[in-house]
Amino acid sequence: MGFLEGAFFAVLTIGIIGAGAGVVLANRITTSALLMAFTFLNVAGMFLLLGAETVAMFQVLIYVGAITVLILYGVMFTPQVPRPYGLFFQTQKFWAALFVVPIAIFVALVAFAFRDTAAVGAKGGDLLPLATSVFRDFAFPFEVASVLLLAAMVGAIVLVKRDDE
Amino acid sequence: MPVGPFGIDPVIWAPLRLVIALLLVVGLVFNGALAQIYLERKIQAIIQDRLGPLHTGPWGLLQTFADAIKLLGKEDIRARLTDRWFFLAAPSIVFSPMLASYVVIPFAPGIVGADLNVGLLYLTTLGSMTVLGIVIAGWASNNKYSLIGGLRSAGQLISYEVPQILSLVTVVLVVGTLSMVGIADSQPGLRMNFLVLPLAFVTYFIAGLAETNRAPFDLPEAESELVAGFLTEYSGMRWAIFFLAEYGEVTVVSSIVTTLWFGAWHGPFVEVFPLLGVLWFTLKTYFFVLVFMWIRATLPRLRIDQLMSLCWKVLIPLTLTNLLVTAVLLLVFPTTLVPVAIANWLLLGAFIVALPYFQRRRLVALRERLRTAAA
Repeated sequence: MGFLEGAFFAVLTIGIIGAGAGVVLANRITTSALLMAFTFLNVAGMFLLLGAETVAMFQVLIYVGAITVLILYGVMFTPQVPRPYGLFFQTQKFWAALFVVPIAIFVALVAFAFRDTAAVGAKGGDLLPLATSVFRDFAFPFEVASVLLLAAMVGAIVLVKRDDE
Repeated sequence: MPVGPFGIDPVIWAPLRLVIALLLVVGLVFNGALAQIYLERKIQAIIQDRLGPLHTGPWGLLQTFADAIKLLGKEDIRARLTDRWFFLAAPSIVFSPMLASYVVIPFAPGIVGADLNVGLLYLTTLGSMTVLGIVIAGWASNNKYSLIGGLRSAGQLISYEVPQILSLVTVVLVVGTLSMVGIADSQPGLRMNFLVLPLAFVTYFIAGLAETNRAPFDLPEAESELVAGFLTEYSGMRWAIFFLAEYGEVTVVSSIVTTLWFGAWHGPFVEVFPLLGVLWFTLKTYFFVLVFMWIRATLPRLRIDQLMSLCWKVLIPLTLTNLLVTAVLLLVFPTTLVPVAIANWLLLGAFIVALPYFQRRRLVALRERLRTAAA
């Protein structure tokens, strides 16, 4: 890892952790949504550092361009009742720790297990491996997932459909 | 000591190149916007039988410069009840992705910021980030009209992304690469992709109109119904940045059209003088910019339900069919593109013939229903 990669990695890591903490701690929910978009952007930067350009692009396209916007959409239509802020988040420290600590340890172990694995490959080389794995090696699970999503979408439409006429 | 281009040390050259590229792109965007605003006013004036700007400079050429200076000098006003940081950040969120798009556009052989392997995906990605800025602008303005404008924009942009990307994928299937330079190289001479995939071009162009919020899809900033939508509370340079972004987006979409369907910088004598490619590319791009303006002066604005039904009931099925047909034909005839071209032209013909027919049937049914309801 050269100096530049290290510097970028540091900046992106600070961005991810800082914005991630901000999402939970921010006082207003719109701020949280925007910080979440910022976190996604930083994660996309991480993918770029790993040479996974395609994944980085999809990360931004789907998470920043679509999902954050939909969340903002939802947030804006939800009436924001002024409430004492600490009511919800700050009384659950024990339960939070109970769930977060084991998950954190597990994630760290998994991450370190990959420590000696090479990155995806040469720069920009992730398009072909990605395509082959999704459309050839794992075509069946991929199709099953798409059918599942389609069913979910149809179900959602049926649920919210007004029965006029 | 290693020597880079022009005999400059690469350590100095890399940042210098970045600075030069940034200055070029900023200059390109600003001057392009000035030229386009002038063109837009003149073309609309010609179409509407008026004269347009006339008095400032020869043929009113300096009018947009005067306007720009006025905008720069205006006070930066922020209404008290707007959401400070979101309000101030929104123009930048809209502007910067547009600026970044210019990195991958191939202006001439060898003149490109970066030949990204996923160039086309990069462009669509940046295009999708605009919507975030517009939604935030609409929300932060704390104004019902602005909010409606922002939400319309979100719905519109997310919907039209689907046919847009499907049209692009059709081209990628035929060309076999996502790199803008690769796509440009694949169309030597007169073998432009337009001849093979006219339908994909038409659907992309319609979706591009919607993605750039241009008429007839300019609902987010509809002046007559939403008092300019998400722009209502903006004034001065912040307002101007939104418009710079819009004109920049128009240029980007036109450049994509030029690169993907009309042979990018290919043209007479490019082999002899590669720099001539810039001229051909600019001419082709501005031709499509003019078409954008022509459409704006010709067509009335759609209603939101018409906009959505055009996208979900017409464009998405059509582009999906097109993608399926192209993919199957490419698998069956891997060596020739003629069947793909024939299928595409047939589909385009069917689209042009069938659309008015279905529209008329829908109208008749609607009138019938209204009549029975009234009776």
